[in-house]
Amino acid sequence: MLRFVAWRLAGLVPVLGIVLVATFLATYALPGDPVLVMLSDHSSNVEMANRLRAEYGLDQPLWKQFFNYIAGVAVGDFGMSYRYVRIPVVEVLSDGIKISPILALAALAAAASIGVGAGILAAIKRNSGIDTAIILILVAGLSIPNFAFATFFVYLFSIKLGALPVAGWGRIDQAILPVAILAIPSAAYIARLTRTFMLEVLGQDYIRTARAKGLAERVVIARHALRNILVPLLTSMGIIFGGLISGTFVVETIFNIPGLGRLAIDSVFARDYPVAMAIVMLFTAFFVLINLAVDVAYAIIDPRIRQRMGVK
Amino acid sequence: MTAATQTTRYPIDGWRLVLRRLARQRNVLIGGAIVLFVVFVAVIGPSLMMHSPEETDLFNPWSPPTAQNPLGTDKLGRDILSRLVYGARVSLLVAGAVLAITLTVAAILGMIAGYMGGRIDAFLMRFVDIMLAFPEVVIAILIASMIGSGVLTVIISLALVWWPGVTRLTRSFVLVIREELYIDAAIVAGTPTWAIFLRHLLPNIAAPLLVRASVGVGFIVMAEATLSFLGLGIQEPVPSWGGMIRDGLPALRTDPYLAIFGSLALGITIIGFNLLGDGLRDALDPKLQGR
Repeated sequence: MLRFVAWRLAGLVPVLGIVLVATFLATYALPGDPVLVMLSDHSSNVEMANRLRAEYGLDQPLWKQFFNYIAGVAVGDFGMSYRYVRIPVVEVLSDGIKISPILALAALAAAASIGVGAGILAAIKRNSGIDTAIILILVAGLSIPNFAFATFFVYLFSIKLGALPVAGWGRIDQAILPVAILAIPSAAYIARLTRTFMLEVLGQDYIRTARAKGLAERVVIARHALRNILVPLLTSMGIIFGGLISGTFVVETIFNIPGLGRLAIDSVFARDYPVAMAIVMLFTAFFVLINLAVDVAYAIIDPRIRQRMGVK
Repeated sequence: MTAATQTTRYPIDGWRLVLRRLARQRNVLIGGAIVLFVVFVAVIGPSLMMHSPEETDLFNPWSPPTAQNPLGTDKLGRDILSRLVYGARVSLLVAGAVLAITLTVAAILGMIAGYMGGRIDAFLMRFVDIMLAFPEVVIAILIASMIGSGVLTVIISLALVWWPGVTRLTRSFVLVIREELYIDAAIVAGTPTWAIFLRHLLPNIAAPLLVRASVGVGFIVMAEATLSFLGLGIQEPVPSWGGMIRDGLPALRTDPYLAIFGSLALGITIIGFNLLGDGLRDALDPKLQGR
């Protein structure tokens, strides 16, 4: 097992290496002088420009800058922001890093419960009106982008009904629309997977055995069937998290939520590349680690997988 | 067996079988109709419009639907209908470009991985596993920081996100074909590897690959719209559905037409592509028959 984890961890090195080089190139090796961006209207002040250049390490040769960058990232130091001059990137990120995970986890919880519930319902009532209705909603949920959903939801709930705030963050009622809209695509995806797996599992012999024993249908579904669809659902967590990460950028932008996603977009436009690249690194590391965790969990749950992956 | 039944060419005629299966699928018909309509609009539509999509009229901003502007105007007085119609063309062009790049890269890498096997295969697939489902916005931010926002950023980002899945698909097709006798025969006859790739593998994977890859067009259209919505994609004054919705959202309270018509066009188009794609996959994948 340890060897398996080590092997998987080793596989991440090239990916993180590529991201490291790419983010460095995007931050430091661009045409144009970041010091001029920082100085804006004081660009003729040579002394100040030189002092800033030295503080940001921009006067050193490129290879040395790259070395400093890697050494910094290794200890969680992403340098200083260009937009907020001389403020460490870590400090710029400190607010957003508390918001985006909450948003994503709340959406994941909502998506998982609604998705699994709807998927099971559709599978049990296969080919009925309920099944068809759920499938139609799924197609819409998977096809309509979340900002298009946001248009309709904000128009209906915030403007026509006046029930929910249009934007902001901090109160419960401000969280309802963003979490719902972030959750929709994931919920639809989970529901579709659940329905497919459930239909497969319900045709298995052990389900017939459980029913033949005279177990209540509720117990058959909850104890025997549900448990067996959790494993294939787990393997899809990487895709689900990928969708949630992309979604936070959109939802935070729409609802004016000061999370990491909106900060990243704002930073690109403000040419604050150190901040944008730090967020790219964070999301990449997070995404890659989630996939690693899924792999490991999968191998723990299902010994056959371990064998297929060549782990002794 | 009589002579009469022998001359009747029965099920093995591939295309007729496929067409018959497709016609039985309601989803394919609905999705196909939507896709055909969108393609028609993208090709013919712009030349039928009364207004140019970039023609501004500062005396007529945020107009509600009128005879002059059937779907109203945006903040610069530009005709929403013209912009929607032109936006369809932009969307499809980007999707086509992404698909072309992805298919080329994936066909080459997938054939190499599937045919060569061994370490090359293991390395490529490990990379594919990690890159799969990588959030496209994160890549787009990286690319946009390097070359700025724009069409090129969208195409590069989406191609980077899409190639892993299609490569894996190609590889799985190649793994099956590699076992065929005619490949063995080619090897024995001394055919060089590149010729095996070009003459024996490629023709046999091309059709299924194209069909399966087309399933993803809806998601490419969605991803392009997302990037344009965030401002990383198509830039003003070129119309894009994502950009139109972004411009329309802040005005939703007073002038909802831009955001709502943009969202409808985008949503219906992607639903069409997804219905068609899912239906095609179901009809052409014998493993799914009878499910």
